[in-house]
Amino acid sequence: MTLLAEQTHFLAEIAADDDAPPSSIGMGIYRNAYRARLIGALESGYERTRRWVGDDAFEAAAAHYILTQPPHSWTLDAFGAQFPEVLAELFAGDPEVAELAWLEWQMQQAFGAVDLPELGAAQLGSAGLDESDWENLRFTMAAGFTAREVSHDLSGLWAQLREDTAHQAENPARADYALIVWRRAMQPHFRLLELAEFSALSHLINGATLGQTGTALEQVGSDPAQLGQWLATWLGEGLFAAYSIAA
Amino acid sequence: MSHTIPRFSGFGLGLRKEHYAAFLGENQPVDFVEVISENFMACGGRPLHTLEAVRARHPVILHGVSMSLGSAHGLNRDYLAELKALAQRIDPLWVSDHLCWTGTSSHNSHDLLPLPYTEEALDRFAANLNFAQDVLERPLLVENPSSYVGFASSTLSEWEFLAELTRRTGCYLLLDVNNIYVSSVNHGYDPLAFLAGIPVDRVRQIHLAGHSQGPEGMLIDTHDAPVRDEVWALYARAVERFGPCATMIERDDDIPPLEDLLAELDQARQLASAGVAA
Repeated sequence: MTLLAEQTHFLAEIAADDDAPPSSIGMGIYRNAYRARLIGALESGYERTRRWVGDDAFEAAAAHYILTQPPHSWTLDAFGAQFPEVLAELFAGDPEVAELAWLEWQMQQAFGAVDLPELGAAQLGSAGLDESDWENLRFTMAAGFTAREVSHDLSGLWAQLREDTAHQAENPARADYALIVWRRAMQPHFRLLELAEFSALSHLINGATLGQTGTALEQVGSDPAQLGQWLATWLGEGLFAAYSIAA
Repeated sequence: MSHTIPRFSGFGLGLRKEHYAAFLGENQPVDFVEVISENFMACGGRPLHTLEAVRARHPVILHGVSMSLGSAHGLNRDYLAELKALAQRIDPLWVSDHLCWTGTSSHNSHDLLPLPYTEEALDRFAANLNFAQDVLERPLLVENPSSYVGFASSTLSEWEFLAELTRRTGCYLLLDVNNIYVSSVNHGYDPLAFLAGIPVDRVRQIHLAGHSQGPEGMLIDTHDAPVRDEVWALYARAVERFGPCATMIERDDDIPPLEDLLAELDQARQLASAGVAA
């Protein structure tokens, strides 16, 4: 058997389910270690999600994930990346589960995201921009920034699912929001946004200039002055890393 | 590229997050720390800032678990690029990884899987290691892992494989004395024969760790307990043969207070001192 064939066979055996028992005590040790390491990665990456669904449901979901989404990255930290999507299928009637898992995953990604500077309002204010420059402003989002729409108010649930209070966690209110996650200095943050604010921010996330964003808001009947207020909020929260002026 | 790694005869610990605050708060009585490379690759924020703060106080060794030097699929170039960037940033004493493979190009076990000790595996491992050393522009240290299966196809012992590897690639060795002991029990060989087969001039570091009893008399390299007496005894013999080199307590689970690990490190110092004097 070639080395390539030997390694392919070896890996298939340790990743198999229990319908195919290991061929030796030693292979059983490797199989147990493989599963324990991957389950451990999911448990440490999704502590709040586990508390919300309970240990048994979480273990079953993790076992399904390990069999259907085997790790492929060089870093174990990436293993759980698709777990929220799988939870969305497994808990189709409880969409807050996948939304909570997504938030938990993104907060950890933000924690270790590659460093970026923070663009402050004072820096922008002292940049000597004329009216045309402001119209053509584009922004680079902060370290670890990501966003999605959600169907529940997860802010209360997130706080309740600390280790000491998880037993008191209550069903989150259902409502349409957006959720943004980013890191400021060393600390990851998240915030729920009303969809109108998220619509405006989405234009900037997708590369529109400030002027283009204002025009888009006017076309749907929004108050243009609102964009200025939101911009001040976003700058105050550290949502941007840098700006550029479109040619 | 420098092709040599000078000897460094200190005593250190694996840096684990449970002890970050202690290492950031004051100088600890260690000569170096070793970190898991992958925990600090392609990242920023608090993890990288912590490593840089510790690096300002102590020499750092980058110890990898994912290079997969024995892979029949070859090496991941993105991985090597990230590791090179980290090494340039941290300026480590050296960079190490294992005599193992971790997966195929599409499936990673995140475990240190054993190799058959054959000429084909030696050719592949040496080619991968030469490639990695060229990319990283430095010689690497290769560590012997614990293993739980052997291969009927093996034609070399583990120590013969390692010794030949040093000749073909110019690499150095990180001897894990606990792993030698664990594998010697699991595969029924004499651990002293392992030590005797290793070229003295290539050893730059020694790992010490705890292990656990596994099924049917096998031992498992769990790194969740203090170093056992049998391993301390083997370490004393290693020091006699290899002389002073960097020695480290490697603890990865059930992490005890830092004071406990420093006490184990003192035990290593005393044994090493007696061994070198003998």
